[in-house]
Amino acid sequence: MSTPAIAREPRSGPTIYEPSLMTVVDLVDETVDTRTLRLEFKDEGLRESFAFKAGQFGEYSAFGAGESTFCIASPPTRAGALECTFKTVGKVTSALRELDVGDTMGFRGPYGNWFPVDDWRGKNVLFVAGGIGLAPVRCVIWNVLDRRDEFGDVTIVYGARSVGDLVYRRELEEWAGRADVTMVTTVDPGGETPEWDGRVGFVPTVLGEVAPASKDAVAVVCGPPIMIKFSFPVLDGLGFADDDVFTTLEMRMKCGVGKCGRCNIGQVYVCKDGPVFSATELKALPPEY
Amino acid sequence: MSAARQTAAAAPVFLAEGELEALVAELAAAGAEVIGATGAAPASPAAAAAGNERGGPSLDYRVLPPGVAPRLLAGMPRLSLKGFFLPQAEALFGWRQHGADVEIERGAAATRPRVALGVKPCDAAALEIVDQVMNWDYADEPWNERRAATTVFTLACAVEDSSCFCAAVGLAPDATRGADGLLTRVTGGWLVETTTEKGAAVVAAHAERFAAAPPALVDEGAESRRAARERVAANLEIDAGSVRDWIAAHFDDPLLAALGVRCHGCGACASVCPTCHCFDIVDETEGVGRGTRRRQWDTCQTGKFTLHASGHNPRDDQHARFRQRVNHKFSIYPLRFGEVLCTGCGRCSRECHAGQDLVEILAAIDVAARRPETAAVGAADGGEA
Repeated sequence: MSTPAIAREPRSGPTIYEPSLMTVVDLVDETVDTRTLRLEFKDEGLRESFAFKAGQFGEYSAFGAGESTFCIASPPTRAGALECTFKTVGKVTSALRELDVGDTMGFRGPYGNWFPVDDWRGKNVLFVAGGIGLAPVRCVIWNVLDRRDEFGDVTIVYGARSVGDLVYRRELEEWAGRADVTMVTTVDPGGETPEWDGRVGFVPTVLGEVAPASKDAVAVVCGPPIMIKFSFPVLDGLGFADDDVFTTLEMRMKCGVGKCGRCNIGQVYVCKDGPVFSATELKALPPEY
Repeated sequence: MSAARQTAAAAPVFLAEGELEALVAELAAAGAEVIGATGAAPASPAAAAAGNERGGPSLDYRVLPPGVAPRLLAGMPRLSLKGFFLPQAEALFGWRQHGADVEIERGAAATRPRVALGVKPCDAAALEIVDQVMNWDYADEPWNERRAATTVFTLACAVEDSSCFCAAVGLAPDATRGADGLLTRVTGGWLVETTTEKGAAVVAAHAERFAAAPPALVDEGAESRRAARERVAANLEIDAGSVRDWIAAHFDDPLLAALGVRCHGCGACASVCPTCHCFDIVDETEGVGRGTRRRQWDTCQTGKFTLHASGHNPRDDQHARFRQRVNHKFSIYPLRFGEVLCTGCGRCSRECHAGQDLVEILAAIDVAARRPETAAVGAADGGEA
């Protein structure tokens, strides 16, 4: 007699938990522990048909280690391949770091909601990011820059703990060199090097000094919880309405499709109702993120 | 989701005690797996001869081997029926490495038709409640396939003990939610009523095992069911709607913020729960270059459940984790899916070695929810959550 404790044999049919296979086509070491992988679907049809929106995320498989949740760090305006950026902190990210160009990994997605970029047409866009929190913001930055004439002023305030923790260095330089972007880069006090010619100061402080105008503007904020916490009052002081401030929540997830229960906060399933929330929506949630 | 179409409850027929074994044999011969509650298999021929079941009173739902009939009497199976739909651990697919390439390997497992006999009504109702989360937007294929392949006959419950509270969450010891038919114990056998086409088809296919139900037995069944409903109603009475709204508006209330005082975070409550459905997805390697991706039961009661890679944990103490359990079952799920995520089976209270008792907790929340001044505070500040 058997209870159904373990179903050892996989079923014959597909499930929503089965990833699509992707090939690593390029990799960039952003910092000593942060890497960007550029990925291409093995399936040609999928390579053509795959579409997503800025802010959506995926479940990335390193076979043998499991799955991890990251945003899609490349913009939807650049189809053909997608990129993810991750810090090596655990089992899956360590295994992903072992992958070389040509190796195979898995992807499920795109999941979740997105930044309402289309609603921002004609508006000024302010990006505020800290550390690896630039990854989801980078997707939106490029999405906006690829459609540059649809938007007003673009301001980017980005900071990291130290010069060595800044990610997407080449792109930071590219954005700083553009006449149609105001780029402010900062590192936390003590994180500067002798050659550093950017600002020194915490992101919320620098944001207050830069003081971008809030009129006809929206703000996208992503970074460590502490940075988000202290940036909100600064934006509030600058006159940004909570409805015009957006962030993306990082929660531990497994299924990504609203079943496994892990990312539930109050009445919200972050994987389905998020990960993008306005400050208004965020403030209505229990503080469990 | 169950493809079964609801029909009006058919007039009961009668299954005599002596026909049960033959019915089970016929179902099996027709190709169905028959599931029923039994004690564990005897550990040895001597134990079998002595009538000893391994593990003593360990009553569980099992796939019955030929010649074994389910125990259609009182007794709460240790685990609910959910494992037959969401196994404790389940292979989703296999993978195999070929150099730089990876191949996804599906298996050959197919879901056989299954008939479950004598399921607790609280366990059957849970299936229909969990159907909601398994099918919003994305449909969970393994769950749905098993649901579609399974015909569930419940057994009207006599009420186990003071931990039972199905009536408080809108169910009853003779509820037919999630079931295709209902058995009621009467003198000499069981009354059988079907509530779906799937259930009626099983009775029709084995019509010779059933007889017309004598009116006296129908009356006997009705009376025992009425008495059971009365007994369970006395265990707990809450206004589930007020509880739902009060929890949503009082996230930081001391009553909710201190719920975990006894809890050790072992998660036994989630294991035995018919509606807890949270799971983990893990890779298991088998030697080098191959392995299986599995999903397995998980629980919001462990710290690891929400732990971020950075070390930050949004629910970093047991109070927060136990509040999540209560919040999810009695407020979040009802507000999202229109269903209380609890069927009042009472297993969590019975199994908890620390004495966490949902009956006690719900009664306390209900008192708070009904207190006019707290209700007014919740409404006035627009909810603290």
